[in-house]
Amino acid sequence: MEAIIEMKHVSKMFKDKKAVNDLSFRIEKGSVTAILGPNGAGKTTALSMILGLLEPTEGEIKVFGKAPKDQSVRDKTGAMLQEVSIMDRLKVREVLDLIRSYYPNPMDMESLITLTGLQDSDLKRYAEKLSGGQKRSLGFALAMAGNPDLLFFDEPTVGLDITARRRFWDSVRKLAGQGKTIIFTTHYLQEADDTADRILLFHKGALVADGTPDEIKSRIVKRSVSFMPRQDGPGFRQRLKALPLLTDHYDRDGRIYVNTDDTDLALESIFAEKLEVRDIRIDQGRLDEAFEQLTVNQEEAV
Amino acid sequence: MKTSMLLKQCKAELLRVIRNPYYVFWSLLMPIVFYFIFTRVVNTGADNQAEWAAHYLMSMTTFSVMGSAIMTLGIRLVQERTQGWTTFMRVTPLPGPIYFFGKMFSQTVMHLLSIIFIFVAGVLINNVSLPISIWIYSALWILIGSLPFLAIGTLVGTMKRVDTASGVSNAIYMALAVIGGMWMPMEVLPKLMQNIGKWLPSYNFGNGAWEIIRGNAPHWSNVVILLGYLILFMILSTYIRKKQEVV
Repeated sequence: MEAIIEMKHVSKMFKDKKAVNDLSFRIEKGSVTAILGPNGAGKTTALSMILGLLEPTEGEIKVFGKAPKDQSVRDKTGAMLQEVSIMDRLKVREVLDLIRSYYPNPMDMESLITLTGLQDSDLKRYAEKLSGGQKRSLGFALAMAGNPDLLFFDEPTVGLDITARRRFWDSVRKLAGQGKTIIFTTHYLQEADDTADRILLFHKGALVADGTPDEIKSRIVKRSVSFMPRQDGPGFRQRLKALPLLTDHYDRDGRIYVNTDDTDLALESIFAEKLEVRDIRIDQGRLDEAFEQLTVNQEEAV
Repeated sequence: MKTSMLLKQCKAELLRVIRNPYYVFWSLLMPIVFYFIFTRVVNTGADNQAEWAAHYLMSMTTFSVMGSAIMTLGIRLVQERTQGWTTFMRVTPLPGPIYFFGKMFSQTVMHLLSIIFIFVAGVLINNVSLPISIWIYSALWILIGSLPFLAIGTLVGTMKRVDTASGVSNAIYMALAVIGGMWMPMEVLPKLMQNIGKWLPSYNFGNGAWEIIRGNAPHWSNVVILLGYLILFMILSTYIRKKQEVV
């Protein structure tokens, strides 16, 4: 597969804080990649470096085989960034027309207007007078103005209502269907799972996991066995501690939980030892919870 | 393609400038009201009333143009940066120089409009009559002489917050206008302020125009001092921009 983006040992220091630490990955043509991570994980910093807005402190970045700032790269790239308001005192149609003029092969005006989902009357309004959601739609259209092959969306759905969210992801999937390469950042696992075919999990500026949504999920979703002791006491706890599979247990809501990759083995161990327990349950962790736990655990580990 | 990009950019910037209501108020209305007050209402006791009417017309025109060069340009640059627009433009293929040229173009057209409006106001209010060549000469002087103030504008444009930029640029603007003899002739100011004023870009800007309407050429020192300020502010502004970019 042709690599559209290549990151080689890229790091970024802000004063004495390391925002991005030794990132290396390739993004292939036609892929939809989610950069997933909690706030402050370095997602936007990484994106800004790929866009040529920030210089990496170390390492090398190639986009379409060239430096990110190269004119030919800009011609083929579109981006929807965070905290970008739209130029004031221009009407919507004028803004679209202006940005289109920057690109060698712009998208035709009608298609672009359809993408915004704006009414004819809205096109004649000043861009800054649009509602928040309409501004985001316009931002999306501006990213598409040059009919780019490579698209970046930085936290695209923040502040959007459910309908607008669905509309946005529908458009993204349609674009992916046309063979465009798409990269977006999000801190919702659900969004990454629904739309991306690859997830780069960021934490504390480093890449902690890289794989398909299913791979990432199976890595981070833990299953657990829980039960209630018939007679709790130091003796019972001592026995639990002695069992290799059950050593790592914790209490919640009056139950004892054991996280495990293999619930069968844990059950076997409970029966073989004839542990005095009742009401045994097997639980599948929730995805969001697991994701949260993963990032929190790593925070504690650092 | 580059030319169409340039034309579109200039057109967009021009539309934005003209649609700005503050421009009409600060750059047109205020200088004209001042002009009316200090030539028709307040008796300034000038010996030659006709000359004073032309002199003060130049004062107010330079005052207006200086204001839009420093404040409008400076504050807009800060606004565009704080609102993320500048960042977005950097991601598009629009070359930086075209973006800059668009700004300077719209700014110059705006200055030209101010000059025409205020000159016409002078004719209507005080029947100011000058040979056509003098009108054109003074208009050109004001247009070209605005360059150092545009450079100050880009310097203001490097500030982090709109509030700071508007406060600072307002203070610079007013101080330059008063000490530079734009509001009232330098002679009425204390000696010390006169000595400072002679070295300010505002005085040299105004003085060129004042000389022109008296039938003289601008003094060579006016040209040299303005040129010096232009170079100084351009270097400063470029230096600060470069420093800000290295993040």
